[in-house]
Amino acid sequence: MFEIKNLNANIQNKQILKDFNLKVNPGEVHAIMGPNGSGKSTLAHVCAGKEEYDVKSGSVLLEGVNLLDLEPEERAVRGLFLAFQYPVEIPGVASMTFLKSALSAHYKFNGKKELSTPEFIKLVKEKSNNLNINDDMIKRPLNVGFSGGEKKRNEVLQMTLLEPKICILDETDSGLDIDALRLVANGVNLLRSKKRSFVVITHYQRLLDYIEPDFVHIMSDGKIIETGDKNLALDLEKTGYNDYIKKDI
Amino acid sequence: MSVKKSKKISEIDQEILNLCNDKIDSLSDCNDDISRIRKEAFKKYSKNGLPNRLQESWKYTNIHKKLNKIPVPDKIYPIPVNVENFINNFDIMRKLKSDNDIVIVFMDGHFVSELSLLRGEKEGISINFLSKGNIPESVIELIVNKHHENDDVLFDLNTVLMQEGVFIDVSPHNKVDSNIYIIHIGNNDGFFNYRHVINIGESSHVNITELKVSNRVNNALYTSSIIWNVGDNSIVNNVKYQAHNQSTIGFNQQYADIGNGAIFNSFTISSGSKLLRESRNIKCNGEHSEVSISGVNLLDGESHIDTTLVVSHKAPNSISKEKYKSILSDRARSVFQGNIVVDKIAQKTIAKQSIDALILSNNAEHDSKPELEIYADDVQCGHGATTGQLSADALFYLRARGIDEGEAKRLLVHAFLSDVMEEIKNKNLRDVLRNVMNSMLNRVSKGTLNV
Repeated sequence: MFEIKNLNANIQNKQILKDFNLKVNPGEVHAIMGPNGSGKSTLAHVCAGKEEYDVKSGSVLLEGVNLLDLEPEERAVRGLFLAFQYPVEIPGVASMTFLKSALSAHYKFNGKKELSTPEFIKLVKEKSNNLNINDDMIKRPLNVGFSGGEKKRNEVLQMTLLEPKICILDETDSGLDIDALRLVANGVNLLRSKKRSFVVITHYQRLLDYIEPDFVHIMSDGKIIETGDKNLALDLEKTGYNDYIKKDI
Repeated sequence: MSVKKSKKISEIDQEILNLCNDKIDSLSDCNDDISRIRKEAFKKYSKNGLPNRLQESWKYTNIHKKLNKIPVPDKIYPIPVNVENFINNFDIMRKLKSDNDIVIVFMDGHFVSELSLLRGEKEGISINFLSKGNIPESVIELIVNKHHENDDVLFDLNTVLMQEGVFIDVSPHNKVDSNIYIIHIGNNDGFFNYRHVINIGESSHVNITELKVSNRVNNALYTSSIIWNVGDNSIVNNVKYQAHNQSTIGFNQQYADIGNGAIFNSFTISSGSKLLRESRNIKCNGEHSEVSISGVNLLDGESHIDTTLVVSHKAPNSISKEKYKSILSDRARSVFQGNIVVDKIAQKTIAKQSIDALILSNNAEHDSKPELEIYADDVQCGHGATTGQLSADALFYLRARGIDEGEAKRLLVHAFLSDVMEEIKNKNLRDVLRNVMNSMLNRVSKGTLNV
């Protein structure tokens, strides 16, 4: 249902993704690990539609539709969700206003009736409780003054509300202490279902203790060089990336 | 009086000089002081003519590029609005309407009594008009004093040509509940000159809203001067809302003298205009006086709005705060020149200035020139200026959550304006102005304001 085919992408004339391929079936969790500069974040941003990347060739298919032909907002309402490594602080935009706009856009696309304000507030409160997000946090401007943990929990809250089909988590574990990591991972695990898939991008095996992947891929120089199950991540933790990268060369 | 023709003088300069000359030749003021200062002002004006870019305070605004002919009416359009429901034409008035509102309407340089509601005698407010002749002594004194202090050539021009205006006198110890509206409507082509004076006795409280609007796509040139005298311990809330078409050229001058312990809050929303110069000269003459001058400029098309502000602290312990935000699209241009002057005597002054501009297109331009002139040694003064575009990261973040580009831009533009709106102290008024602004901004999505 989510498939990346022969994806080549540049930034400022430097090729980052090189014939990248990945197929994710419904309900699967794929982890992508790799050293700095291997192109993991580029992959996430290209899928979500960030403008500064120049896609040369290839396709990113969600349920048969090539997302690369669509605007970022169209990709989102069709079910792609990127959990940002660095969620952006936006002073002056109230978190609730933002959530309402985002949710309305999804409902509109799916032909669902928009929630009334009380229904919406009730829904947000219900979902927030599971993530230990208090009222004060959602009353503040979007991500402004949030701690690293709060920002990532807020990402998971959005994911929970928007009910995407494919979630790309871009180094969601970065900047989190163990408790926050557990909270975020629990939030993600609650969303796992037969219909929903995840691509979890991380440097460290630790996150995968909490979010158990079906597949682990090692990415280097813009493509996947090794695929295995969760044990690959454990091996990697012992040996480091270098052995795999050398082997590939 | 004769006007010497010189080869260097531009056509528009010559046209204005001729007009001034005619005015001086046919003076019909009932008041000798007014006649005298008109002549003096003409002498001063004719030495200089219109300001040009060689003058420091006009470096960023080229009048001659925007103005090359005095507009004259080709035909006269009648009063355009429904007289019965006049107030309903303006959101600001309709939503904040109270039973005793005082409404003073001018159109194309003339007072329009059919549209005005003049009351207030009972409330200790006296209202007079320049054209009616019987100008109170206190008003004459304020006009004459300001004439002598003044060094703005456009104020001189306004003095020569002023044809109509309202003089509002608020008695001391008077808390006025009703709103006072001064409304200028541009309907026909032409050159119009207003002079208003607002004299507020000590310990009084007034809300005065100025509306300046173009009714049609008329070709108007106007000068409008307003002199405020705010008595000791008085509180003034002033809102200015100016929405002009793209062919109107306006020169506004505001002078305000603020007494001991008095509070003067002024918030301006300006949009449109081919050229709008907002010259403001605020003097904190009294100890413990507080001034807040803030506003929003929304510019699109070829609009040019220049806000030139001087705040002078002339007594100890006074506070001034200036906060302006501009949003520009298309080929618009905004200028902000803000000078804070702290006299030697004005110890413990607190003065802050912040100027931000958000540029939505590649061809718009914003120039900021903050200046501080501080002669006292125990003060807190600061200024900050930013000019930027919408954050690409913020825009992408919103779009990545399904919010379409137009809506995302709208959210970010509102976010940019959110803190300046807090400067409006009255919550009802703030909400109404927020709505007014929403409707002005609802086409930001297309990269143009189309106000």
